[in-house]
Amino acid sequence: MSAPSMIKLQSSDAAEITVEREIAERSVLIKNMMEDVGEQAFSEAIPIPNVNEAVLNKVIEWCTHHRADPPSTNDDDSDSRKKTTDIEEWDQKFMQVDQEMLFEIILAANYLDIKPLLDVGCKTVANMIKGKSPEEIRKTFNIQNDFTPEEEDQIRRENEWAEDR
Amino acid sequence: MSQFKRAPVTGGMLKNDILAPIRIAEIVTSKPFLPAEILASLLDYLAVPDLIRFARVSKRMREMVYDDTRWVQRLKLMECWDEREARRRAETSLGDASTVVTAHEAKRTGLGVHGTPGAKSINAAGPTAEPARKRGISHGGYAGDGFDTVALSPSGSGGVPVSRLLEPAARLAIFSRVRSVRGGSRNEYGKVHGALSSFYMDAAGSKNPTDAIVFRTYRDPDQQAQMLSNMRRFAKSDISQGWQSRAAKLGDLEDAFETAVAKEFEHGLIDGDIDGKMRKYAHVLVTLNGGGKGLQMFITRSHLISEKGSLGNPLGCLNTGSFSMEQSYRFFHNTSSEFNEQVAIMDRIFPASVDTVIPLLRRVGQEVILEYLVALFDEAHQTNLEAYLKAVSTTYSQSLDFAQSLRPGNDLGDAFPGAVDDIVLKAFEPHIELYLKEEIEFFKRISEAEVGSWEKQLSEQDASMQSMYMSNVNRQADKRDFLTSFKKVVMMPVNVLPTFPMSSPFGSKPATAKALVNGETLDIQPMTSQNPTRSSSPSLLNITALSNTTTGVTTPLAEPPTTELAAKTAIMNSRLEGIRSLFSIEVALHLVHAAKASIERAATFIKIEGHFGEDARKQCELIFVLLLHILGSRHVKAGFDQAVDHLSKYNPRSTESSPGQTRSVTPLVTFLELVNVGDLIQQMLDVFYEQELIATGLTDRSDFLSPAVKEKKRFEQMLDERVAAGLNKGIEVLMAEVEYVSATTQKPEDFNPGVAGGASPELVDVGPSETAKQIVDVLSSHTKMLVGSTDKTMLDVFNQEVGLRLFTALCKHLKRQRISVDGSIKLISDMSHYSSYISSLKNASLTQYFAALRELAQIYLVAPTDAKELATIVADGDRFHGIFRAEEVYEFAERRADWYLVKAKVERAMYGVGCAVM
Repeated sequence: MSAPSMIKLQSSDAAEITVEREIAERSVLIKNMMEDVGEQAFSEAIPIPNVNEAVLNKVIEWCTHHRADPPSTNDDDSDSRKKTTDIEEWDQKFMQVDQEMLFEIILAANYLDIKPLLDVGCKTVANMIKGKSPEEIRKTFNIQNDFTPEEEDQIRRENEWAEDR
Repeated sequence: MSQFKRAPVTGGMLKNDILAPIRIAEIVTSKPFLPAEILASLLDYLAVPDLIRFARVSKRMREMVYDDTRWVQRLKLMECWDEREARRRAETSLGDASTVVTAHEAKRTGLGVHGTPGAKSINAAGPTAEPARKRGISHGGYAGDGFDTVALSPSGSGGVPVSRLLEPAARLAIFSRVRSVRGGSRNEYGKVHGALSSFYMDAAGSKNPTDAIVFRTYRDPDQQAQMLSNMRRFAKSDISQGWQSRAAKLGDLEDAFETAVAKEFEHGLIDGDIDGKMRKYAHVLVTLNGGGKGLQMFITRSHLISEKGSLGNPLGCLNTGSFSMEQSYRFFHNTSSEFNEQVAIMDRIFPASVDTVIPLLRRVGQEVILEYLVALFDEAHQTNLEAYLKAVSTTYSQSLDFAQSLRPGNDLGDAFPGAVDDIVLKAFEPHIELYLKEEIEFFKRISEAEVGSWEKQLSEQDASMQSMYMSNVNRQADKRDFLTSFKKVVMMPVNVLPTFPMSSPFGSKPATAKALVNGETLDIQPMTSQNPTRSSSPSLLNITALSNTTTGVTTPLAEPPTTELAAKTAIMNSRLEGIRSLFSIEVALHLVHAAKASIERAATFIKIEGHFGEDARKQCELIFVLLLHILGSRHVKAGFDQAVDHLSKYNPRSTESSPGQTRSVTPLVTFLELVNVGDLIQQMLDVFYEQELIATGLTDRSDFLSPAVKEKKRFEQMLDERVAAGLNKGIEVLMAEVEYVSATTQKPEDFNPGVAGGASPELVDVGPSETAKQIVDVLSSHTKMLVGSTDKTMLDVFNQEVGLRLFTALCKHLKRQRISVDGSIKLISDMSHYSSYISSLKNASLTQYFAALRELAQIYLVAPTDAKELATIVADGDRFHGIFRAEEVYEFAERRADWYLVKAKVERAMYGVGCAVM
């Protein structure tokens, strides 16, 4: 490979992080950007305005670990069952962060267009929701209840079929 | 995981002291949890109960969860969403949708945040009515069945779980109650979920398959199977995490159940309890998963597969060293009847909805037919090539036949005939290529062997050739008769061949019978001999009668001719000894028969679509080409060359001719007969070509690039060339004979009776001399033989040449004679004899020559006293049609016996007159 293999990323808080191009290109956003910008991308740092240093480091950690993964087949809507595989052990550990960080990672993955990481994040969040009551979910995600008690009762009755026995 | 529950909000947010409340507020408003699209994909990972709970968190979440596409997707996974039905429903309900709109719903709709693209697209489809209808439906807008009203109307018996309300029986048929309603898909899914999820989750969580609630709720195996099948279908909609293990659990449960049922089925199978146990458990298996296992078990256990050896022994067909198609026919017959029997049983056991026949057919094709054929062909190929070839083509048509005789049973689909053909093709596919190769090899070998053995025989017989020529001469007339009758015989196949398939003994199985007859054309088989003989018996009798009358000798036939072709061969045998030394019609016939058999064997495969059919077609053409090649260049051409060789060596003086016998030039006769026979062979091939290649559509007559057509043309050309070359030699020989005859037999007193002084002029009878008669006989007998056997133009050329050469020969002959006035009568009648013969040839210019010759003869009639007249005649060029000049006539006049007496007068008259004029 003749092209220089290291590129620089600049986080929202102006930190510069040097990373291997191959790793950075796990992000479809960066990959496309590299293709568009060309040589210039190697001399200057690529700004990642939505992601702060801590999160970016976390994301790069993930990318480094998954650098050898086969490129994800991008037809994610082909079979909705495919993506519901269980989370890898490494990813599970990786996701053991506080909730704010978790969401930040998800947002960063979304912004940087790293589909597998986004999936892992969503799965993790889904696991957090699993088995919780609506009130617990509200608490966990800091969501306000905007239902009137009547409305709440109605939804519950509408969906009685889904109640666990 | 457990960390997350504690870690978030509490830890992260509350560690800041005073500003914390403000920050929380900020977060809630400015950073609303997660963007909608991420939320939407997140929801995909949630199990249904979690999803519903999530909907209760806030209005926005509810909108996302209630999004119709989410539920349609699940219904689709269970294969109970019909897009067309949904569209129809949407269109019909669009009209009255407005009636169910309530203020309450309108308010909700207004507040709704359509976070997902799916929701937007639905709104786009019906911008105003859609949301309204959605609400209307979810509030019991349609009260089609009890479940909906109970479950959804707010006034209903709330609090009682819906699943408890369902009768066990209703759960069995739950999928049939699901409807495709846009906007109502969540409810529809709810029905299924309510009916099945408890069983599903239980099954997924149970340790011991037998403990599963399904089996405790339902006792009847049929119902159990139905529930399991429902659960499997339901499981497809389970897309939340951990579905694999749940599906695996369910699979285990199903397997256990299936095994148990299959065991029962097997018991029934062993007991032969068709309508009882077998039927019952087959239905259970079908309900469970299409009944594949039961079907496999049944097929494996059926006699057809388990006792396939009893259907027929492949080697039985080859016991006698050659292939007997009765054995293989029996095999196919057995298989067919056994198959039909099994199909009948299967129809009783399995419900009609299950495709039972084709799997059975596949197995039969794979395990019975294929194995049988492989064993048969391998053995045949090793032992006897001809048997192998016969076996392949015969079994192929038999198997086509077999395919016809199969009963499709309950399964009335169009797929059946196609599947059957497929099976047959599969069974033969591996053999076709080898077969075609072997076929052509076989034909080549057989024909070369035939020609070779004949050549060997010929060299042994070479010594006795001369005597055969002589005996041949005696039967000149017979031969001509024979040729006409033979022509009839050769033409016969045109009428006879098409009747083969039609008059086959097995009316119901034309394919088999056809192959049967054609494959056995040369063998005498009791089966085949019956009908074809009967159908063509009149013509056959005709031929045998002919053979008896024409030869005068009863042909000692070893066996009564059982087929048309055998009869022909027999006749040929007895008749053509004369020219057997050159080439033999018998050999030609054998070759043609071999080719016919080969082509017809190969032709059975032409029906196969694709490249095998094409290959087979090409092979047929190739066989024909090969036939022409071997017959043409090796057999006929060699014969002709030899005949021409004989001709050129002919010396009329060397052959003794016994008196009283018609003179003929033996090699020429042989050659001319050869021409006839060659012509016959060509006609035979032509008929063969028409019949075997054109009529069956193997080749296109107009396709001049086709190798068959090209080869045929070449063969004909070759034949014509040989004939022409031979005729050229033949003319020379003939003329040598004519000259020889005229030199040896013409007695001096013929034209000059006075010379010997013995006989008085009165006794001379008016008529052609012996010599003239002989010459004309020789010529006419030879030229007549050509009539009808060679090209008309060639015949004309030949006749013209013969006539001209005869003319010069006669002139030469005349100049060697002395002719007196008395003898001139004889000469004139001789000349008339010649010219009448020549005029029979119907050649205008030749007729003139001989008319001139006749006129010339007159100069000898003029009395010596009328020398002046003679001079006028001699000088009169018109008299001889310009053919003789005066000087030539003068030369002839010199041959007058009294020439020296009249010479002076004539000269005086001729030149004197001339001098006087001068």
